[in-house]
Amino acid sequence: MSSTLIETKKLVRRFKSGDEHIEVLRGVDFCINVGDTASIQGESGCGKSTLLNLMAGLDQADEGGIFWNSEEISRHSNQVLAIKRSSLIGMVFQSYYLVPEICALENVILGGRISGNTDNLAERSKSLLQRVGLGSRMSSLPSTLSGGERQRVAIARAMISDPKVLLADEPTGNLDEATGDSIMDMLQELCEEKQVSLILVTHSANYAARMGRSWVLRKGILEKNNGQMIE
Amino acid sequence: MPWYLYIALRHLFPQGRRFPVFTLMSLTGVILGVATLIVVISVFNGFGYEIRSKIADTFGDLRVVNGGLLGDPDGLAEILESKESVDTAIPFAQGIVMVLYKNKPLAPIVEGIDVRSDREVQKYGNYLLDGSMDEFDDDSILVSSGLAGQLGLSVGDEVEMYTPLMMLKLLESDGSDVLLPRLVRVGGIFQTGWQRVDENTVISTLRLMQDLYNLGEGAHGIRIELKPGFETEEEGREITESLGRPYYAQTWMDANGDYLSIIKLEKRMMFFLLFIIVIVASFSIMSSLLTFVIRKTREIGLFAAMGATPRQLAACFCLQGMIIGVAGTLLGIGLGRTLLYFRNDITSTLSSLLSVSDSMNQIYGFAYLPARVQSGDLIVISLLSILIATLAGLVPAYQASKMNPVEALRSE
Repeated sequence: MSSTLIETKKLVRRFKSGDEHIEVLRGVDFCINVGDTASIQGESGCGKSTLLNLMAGLDQADEGGIFWNSEEISRHSNQVLAIKRSSLIGMVFQSYYLVPEICALENVILGGRISGNTDNLAERSKSLLQRVGLGSRMSSLPSTLSGGERQRVAIARAMISDPKVLLADEPTGNLDEATGDSIMDMLQELCEEKQVSLILVTHSANYAARMGRSWVLRKGILEKNNGQMIE
Repeated sequence: MPWYLYIALRHLFPQGRRFPVFTLMSLTGVILGVATLIVVISVFNGFGYEIRSKIADTFGDLRVVNGGLLGDPDGLAEILESKESVDTAIPFAQGIVMVLYKNKPLAPIVEGIDVRSDREVQKYGNYLLDGSMDEFDDDSILVSSGLAGQLGLSVGDEVEMYTPLMMLKLLESDGSDVLLPRLVRVGGIFQTGWQRVDENTVISTLRLMQDLYNLGEGAHGIRIELKPGFETEEEGREITESLGRPYYAQTWMDANGDYLSIIKLEKRMMFFLLFIIVIVASFSIMSSLLTFVIRKTREIGLFAAMGATPRQLAACFCLQGMIIGVAGTLLGIGLGRTLLYFRNDITSTLSSLLSVSDSMNQIYGFAYLPARVQSGDLIVISLLSILIATLAGLVPAYQASKMNPVEALRSE
C-alpha cells in the first residue's frame, strides 16, 4: 500500500457569485503521507476550508482529482465515500460542533459509532477523554464546558475512530492564546502518539511553523511557505 | 444500538433537559388521534355488539323455514333438537295484522311464540316494561313500546285485530258476511332495544296466530337457539344440508344483513373520518421535523464529516417520526382505554353538567354506554398510526440525506 494518504492533483474549484464564476482553487497539487504534518495558511476567504473539505470528500472539485490511498474518490457514491471517509479521516473544526443533547463522553462514543469502530468503545472513549484532560467532565453537557474543553472533546471524538489523517480547520480560532497553545500541544502529542498525519489550517504562523511542511494558499495556488506573515 | 437510533432518541428526549416542546406537541397529536379512534371505534363496536345480541335474542340464532307452511312443526322441532349443536327448537308463526284501537288503525308485524317453551316466555318477560307474562294467554297480546305509544295503549286495554285472511274472506263473500274482528287484551308492553322490533311488533301465542291465520297445527318456521361454542353460519349450512330442500336455515345475520351492513359501514366511515386526526397529527410531526432538520443543519454536516452515510442520516430523522408514532400510539391506547374505563362516569357527569336527560336509555334502551375493544381494531389503528408518523418523517429525512455537508457545516 502506498504511504500517500491523501493527494490532490490540479484541483480546481469554482463558485458562482451572481453571473460571475470565482475560481477559488486553481490547480492545487498537494499530498500528505503517513506520519506527516502539514499546515495550510492563507488570508480569510482564500479557500483553505474549501481545500480541506475537498480533501475530506465533502465537496466535489470542478476539475482535477482527489486520491485517498491512491484511489480516485470521484467514482465512488456518497454512500461508499462516507464509509471510506470514516476510517481514513478525522475532522476538527473551529466551532467544535458537539451534539448539545448528549454529554462529553457520549459525544466521543458517537464518533466511534458513526465510524463503525466500536471495539471496546466506551473504555477507549473514557481513556481518550482522560488523555485530553477531561476525566472529571465526562458526564458534562457541552453547554456546561468552556471553549477549550469543548475543543478537547471534539479532538477526542475525531481520534476515537483511529483515523489515518486528521484535518483540523482552525482548531484554535475561537480560543485565547494560552488555551490555543495547550490545545495545539495536545493535538500534536496525540497525533504523534497515534501515528496520525495532521493537516492544520491556521492563521497562526507559530502553529504553522510547528508542522513538518508549511503551505500558503494564495490566489487559488498552493505554495510552499517562505516565512512571510499571512494576514 | 445504531448511532442514528441513539441520536434520534436523544433529539426527542434529551438528557438532563426539559422535555422539548417539539416532542410534546408531536406526541400529543398522535396520542389524541389514537385515543379518539379507539374510544369511538370501541363504542361503535359496543353498540354493534349490543344491537347484534338483541337481534340474535329476538330472532333466534337460526330460523328454519320452507317458504310456506310447516305441517308438522313439532316433529321437525324434535328432529332439530336431536342435533348436538341445537339447544332449543321452537315453532313460530309470523304475519301482519291490522290492530284497531279507538278507531285508530295500525298494521304491525305479529309473531306467535310457543308458550310451552319457558325460554320464549322468559325472554319476553325480561323485555317487559309493563304488565306480566302471567297475563299472557291466547286472548292477549304483548305490544311493543313504539306501537303502544302510537295507539296510546296501556296494559288491560282491548284492541281489535283483523288479519288479511279475514279481509280475503270478506272480499270472496257476496256481501252477506260480516267482518268480526278478534278482540284481544294488551297483556304487556315490551321494549327489546332493537328499534325495528320495538317500533311496530305484536307478540301473540302461537295458538292465537294459528287461529288468526287459519294454520291448524302448522307454523311458519322453527326458531333455533344454538348451544354456546357453535358457529351460527356453519350450523345453518349444516342444517340446510341435512334437511334438504325446500328447508332452509336462515341465520339472524342473513335476515338482518342490510341493517348489520349499515352498522359496519358506519363504523368504517367513522374510522376513516377520525383517522384524519392522525393524518393531521402527522403533518404536525412533519413540519416539526422539517424545522428540526433546519435547526440541526450543522449537526447533519458534522455527522456527514464524521462518516455518516446519507441513508444513516435519513434513518436518524425517519426514526424520530417512527418513535413519535410508536410512543404516541402506546400512550394513545393507554388514554383511550382509560377513557373507555371511565366512560359511564364521564357521560353521566357531562349529562348532569349540561342538564341533559339520560337520552341513551330513552333512545337506545341502554342504561350505560356500551363499548368493546377489539384486538383487530387496536392492531389496525396502531399499525396505521405508526406508518403515518414514519411516513411523516420521510420528507425531513430525505431533506437531511440530500444536504450538502459543506453547506450544512457553513450554515449559521
